[in-house]
Amino acid sequence: MWFFDNLALGFSVALTPINLFYALLGVFLGTVIGVLPGIGPMTGIALLIPITFGLPPTSAIILMAGIYYGAMYGGSTTSILVNTPGESSSVVTCFDGYQMAKQGRAGPALAAAAIGSFIAGTFATLVLMLIGPAVAAFALNFGPPEYFTLMLAGLTVVTSLAGRSLVKALLATTIGLAIATIGIDLQSGVPRYTFGNPELLDGLEFLVVAIGLFALSEVLVNLADLRQAIQERLAIKGGLWLTREDWRRATPAFIRGTLSGFFVGGIAGAGAAVASFFSYGIEKKMAKHKAELGTGAIEGVAAPEAANNAAAGGALIHLLCLGIPGSGTTAIMLGALLMLGLQPGPLLFQQQPQFVWGLIASMYIGNAMLLVLNLPLVGMWVKILDIPLYLLVLFIILFSFLGVYTMNNSTQDLFLLLVFGILGYLLRRLDIPAAPIILGMVLGDLMEQAMRQSLLISDGSYAIFVTRPFSLFFLLLAIVSITNPYWKYIGVGLRRWFGRGAPA
Amino acid sequence: MKENRIASVVFCLFALTYFALAFTTIAQPSVLQILGPDAFPKAIGVLMLILSGVYVLQSFRGLGREDETRAAIIGAEDKVGTHIEWKTIALMLGVMLVYVFLFEPLGYPIATFLMFVTGAAILDRRHWKRDTLIAAVASFGFYFTFSLVLRVQLPAGPLRWLGL
Repeated sequence: MWFFDNLALGFSVALTPINLFYALLGVFLGTVIGVLPGIGPMTGIALLIPITFGLPPTSAIILMAGIYYGAMYGGSTTSILVNTPGESSSVVTCFDGYQMAKQGRAGPALAAAAIGSFIAGTFATLVLMLIGPAVAAFALNFGPPEYFTLMLAGLTVVTSLAGRSLVKALLATTIGLAIATIGIDLQSGVPRYTFGNPELLDGLEFLVVAIGLFALSEVLVNLADLRQAIQERLAIKGGLWLTREDWRRATPAFIRGTLSGFFVGGIAGAGAAVASFFSYGIEKKMAKHKAELGTGAIEGVAAPEAANNAAAGGALIHLLCLGIPGSGTTAIMLGALLMLGLQPGPLLFQQQPQFVWGLIASMYIGNAMLLVLNLPLVGMWVKILDIPLYLLVLFIILFSFLGVYTMNNSTQDLFLLLVFGILGYLLRRLDIPAAPIILGMVLGDLMEQAMRQSLLISDGSYAIFVTRPFSLFFLLLAIVSITNPYWKYIGVGLRRWFGRGAPA
Repeated sequence: MKENRIASVVFCLFALTYFALAFTTIAQPSVLQILGPDAFPKAIGVLMLILSGVYVLQSFRGLGREDETRAAIIGAEDKVGTHIEWKTIALMLGVMLVYVFLFEPLGYPIATFLMFVTGAAILDRRHWKRDTLIAAVASFGFYFTFSLVLRVQLPAGPLRWLGL
């Protein structure tokens, strides 16, 4: 059995004391980040990338993945006890979770969230293990044209789901692509947009932009309005365990949430927030006690919490098998891996089996650790909210500067960090999303390279992007994803047009 | 909506500059290529011009109706309040700027300690004893963790003379 061998290899990597430590550190930090409102997984991973500098890539990805799915666990705790979602993907959990806590059933709500996350996380890892190698093997057939259009589709899918305005999100994407063009053009050796500054020849540092746009801007957002709302916390009464009745109601919700989250949020690239809303919608249609949803039904906690974890696991499939980030968070992880000199993609499964299988094994371990960390220690996590906001702000400043400085030992990078922090704040005020900027920045170079290689193959003809079936498919996917907000208007317009002609 | 108008015009100007620089500052390589180094920047420039143009139109004619339900579903970030404590922001930006300047001359631990203490004094003065202690532990703690455990060299500043 090939995958038992692989899995054995994976566990032999993941069970070394040092990697166990990084998995634990990752899920611990992830839970902290999940609990803290305002600091999402993107900000958290960007801030903590510098810790991974000295690490081998396997330990680095184990740590980052731990933060990623740990944050999905942590987000639910504050949704349930404080009615404040720690992450955008835990907004839905507030609806029923807080109601349950108000009725004195905080324990079962927390347990359902943790168990749902565990089931979904383990399922996503299992699927990654079973289909990952096949997807990667299939993707090995992709040539540059397929890669170019696949990246284009990834870019447009994420962009179309970022922020309130499509125009602003697309504008953010082009800014990211523009940032990617700074520095020496690798193919021709010609410097672009460097204005004679030698430090710009390598381009803008990914970490400076990421930490500036996500972490430092968060500082300024909080400083602009430091008045801290005193949040009423609900105590955990009674046991944490689920009754037989709870299990009977939650189990189908776990399954529905896991499946919908994995396919909608993960494979389709819609992200964890959409996945949790989607699964809540399914519960509203399919749950046995659907009338109770919104008033403290356990299904309303079980399904979305399973869904957001499944989505996080699913997003890793894109990253590992195709080398394409399917979300803002995985874009940051891709940027970090590229900094460590590792190019994720289909070849990874063949060339770096210890990396891929080590990560997979660590995800099983990490999910189990989270279950243990979260249920008995839930009181401790809630205490984190006692940290005054201004101290948190000062610590984010400290970490941002520390991380950016250790990268190149350059104070010019610190100036750029400030500039991008201010820029990030202005963008937040204008409601322009920052995630597409990061995605554009990470994918820009890769896309340019793929496009040039494609045109080299076709001798300059752009037809190569539409004559190859998969390339055409990805291209259509890209078009569909950015035009879909306008479909209803087109539909209404068409109906009006034809309605006028047809007899009433 | 004034902010959006200004921003849209700024974006438009930025796009124009970026586009123009693609023609003027990028040298042609000696070997002819199918897609030269200026092709991608020009394409991005055109896209950016179109999008910022649409943004200008939208911001001057009133932005389209925003669908808050959709925003919640896709997990869009909360809108930032327009209420601003300018004084706090300006002071803290000043502190960070000074921090950058002092980072190497004073060394990491001292510069960080000063940044933290000044920052805490600006933001909340009620717990200064506790905050000073936190600042000391954090700045020196991180310095020693990074230089001794992680072997990442941070500027030592005057501490160098103490052999630390």
